[in-house]
Amino acid sequence: MNASSPIRSSGFWAEAWRRFRRKPLAMAALAFVSLLMLVAGLAPAIAGTKPVICRYKGRLYAPCLGYFDRRLEPTIFAKDKFRGTYPRNLVEKDPGSWAVWPLVFQDPYRSVRDDEWPGRPANPARDEGRPSRINLFGTDQAGVDVFAKMVHGTTIALLVGFVSMGIAGSIGIVVGALGGYLGGWVDMLTSRVTEIVMCIPTLVLILSIMALLEKPTIWHTMAIIGATGWTGIARLTRGEFLRLRQSEFVTAARATGAGPVRIMLRHILPNALAPILVPITFGIASAILTESSLSFLGFGPPPPSASWGSILNDARSNLSMWWLVVFPGVAIFLTVLAYNLIGEGLQEATDPRLREARK
Amino acid sequence: MTTYLIRRLLFGVVTLLVITCFVYGLARNMPGTPLTVQLGETDPSRKFNPEDLERMKRIYGLDKPWPVGYAQWLGNVVQGDLGRSISRKQPVATLIAERIGPTFLVSGTALVLAWLAAIPLGLYASARSGTVDERATSLVLYVLYSFPTFVAALFLQIIFAVWLRGTNWELPLFGMTDLPADAPLLVRITDIARHAILPVTCQTYVSLAYDSRFIKANMEEAVRQDYIRTARAKGAGPWRVLFRHAFRNTLIPLVTLLGLSLPGLIGGSVIIEQIFTWPGMGRLFFESIRERDYPTIMGLTLMFSMLTLAGQLLADLLYCVVDPRVSVE
Repeated sequence: MNASSPIRSSGFWAEAWRRFRRKPLAMAALAFVSLLMLVAGLAPAIAGTKPVICRYKGRLYAPCLGYFDRRLEPTIFAKDKFRGTYPRNLVEKDPGSWAVWPLVFQDPYRSVRDDEWPGRPANPARDEGRPSRINLFGTDQAGVDVFAKMVHGTTIALLVGFVSMGIAGSIGIVVGALGGYLGGWVDMLTSRVTEIVMCIPTLVLILSIMALLEKPTIWHTMAIIGATGWTGIARLTRGEFLRLRQSEFVTAARATGAGPVRIMLRHILPNALAPILVPITFGIASAILTESSLSFLGFGPPPPSASWGSILNDARSNLSMWWLVVFPGVAIFLTVLAYNLIGEGLQEATDPRLREARK
Repeated sequence: MTTYLIRRLLFGVVTLLVITCFVYGLARNMPGTPLTVQLGETDPSRKFNPEDLERMKRIYGLDKPWPVGYAQWLGNVVQGDLGRSISRKQPVATLIAERIGPTFLVSGTALVLAWLAAIPLGLYASARSGTVDERATSLVLYVLYSFPTFVAALFLQIIFAVWLRGTNWELPLFGMTDLPADAPLLVRITDIARHAILPVTCQTYVSLAYDSRFIKANMEEAVRQDYIRTARAKGAGPWRVLFRHAFRNTLIPLVTLLGLSLPGLIGGSVIIEQIFTWPGMGRLFFESIRERDYPTIMGLTLMFSMLTLAGQLLADLLYCVVDPRVSVE
């Protein structure tokens, strides 16, 4: 049917993907990040004390959704005075009920009590909680399971990267594009603003803004990291736009009557995107680092949100609890490493100069 | 040249004005004042009564709106006075002078060590590019590059201060020295050195990993140039090509990197100094924010921004020295 259609050469991104796929480390990193996304999405089904699905008084419920947002937890259980303890209450209040439980019966926000799960002792507290069969990664000072905390903290680690770099990327691209394409006084202004922001000590800015807020949440942290991390992207975008502004296809587009916004968005941006994506990927890694170091210093989101960095903060007061350092530390390290590897793979796959060197 | 310098300096002054004004506004709008935050937290009974608080506020000039306070601060700074710390009852200049030494001890040592190791490593990696041993080294460096400092610091603390406690290898966990100031000089130096090992290690490995990767990347760019082929063709030996022809041409980006590391050299690292309770600038910064000590916050912000600007200017000027083709115009 399509016999007469011409053979299309593969596009730039298909070509880049083909080269990216040939790098085992970069692909492993991509697989790791996908795994993290899976863990974040399925967190309540991996570790929790609320049933994934249960049948109670003739209807099906999914109380585990309450881990994503309190309002998603069915109200019937509060009305029946479950008080967050499901296993016994389900059996006692409706003998005919059944439930599918999370893989690990542990809660990220509180310690599991004695006999809460039939026949299982309470979580060990203080420095007793070494990793064991029940508490895979051990427990913290208050007896909260570290594995559950980390599984639920994955969402934060991923969100921090994407949201803050989404913000930083948008600001950086807009500022850099305007400066690079329009030139003149606009370029003068945007370049100076970029330089000024670069000179502000980032950590001071973040710490003082966090102190300013009445109730800092994880979203504030992300917004601030994004609002301070755009300078490098802006400079790079400006450079790319300066270079591409001179190119023939832009002149051609202008000759056909395309306006400046259309030229910037449709003609220059797609061609400048590859080099801009690289620092954004590296930026995700550094945003995760910044968030975890903030939490580590005690300036992170307030409890109960369990960020990986805040687990490390707990370890500082008692270094003999090595499991509070090793597991979250390795998790942060692997995530940062994965994004750095993806960034590098992207760079090598899209930068023609690096490609030639590999001959 | 002179016009260039004047323009840069003028712009630098404007940048400093914008930054300090912004940070001052931020700091003054943080909840709590140095008078309430510190005392109220430690002991509620020591909270000032309202009249005393008003009086203290007047003394420190906190009763006026922040733009007025900023103008006053700026006036004093122009006359060379950074003000007095509210929570520490000392001139800010004295505080900074006290802290600069310990910070420089750690960051200076780390910088020298990192560069001493990074240049040979980077050259080695580019000389043996593609071989198994080069890949292994690069992978290790890459892993180190992604390893968060505070995690490494905690690991080191666990190993050297907890697991090796009681052995010869035990290293102190916190602070700069355990000895009184009148201990013999040599003993004090050894003690400070023992305290400095872990912070220096933490700060070194990060820059080492970054710098050697940076050098390798630049070298790979350089060895692809035509003049390298020419040098090889005329019969120059591999080491001569590497050092005389390739490495010398990568000095420009290196110089920029060196210039950009200037603020860190004196500003220190907040996280490392905080973990090891090292009495340096970074820790002073962190504490002054917590204590809402406006004069110290401002003094340090001013210093950091000036160093950043100076580092950028220095890098641009060194550029012209290293590469005569570049001109600042």
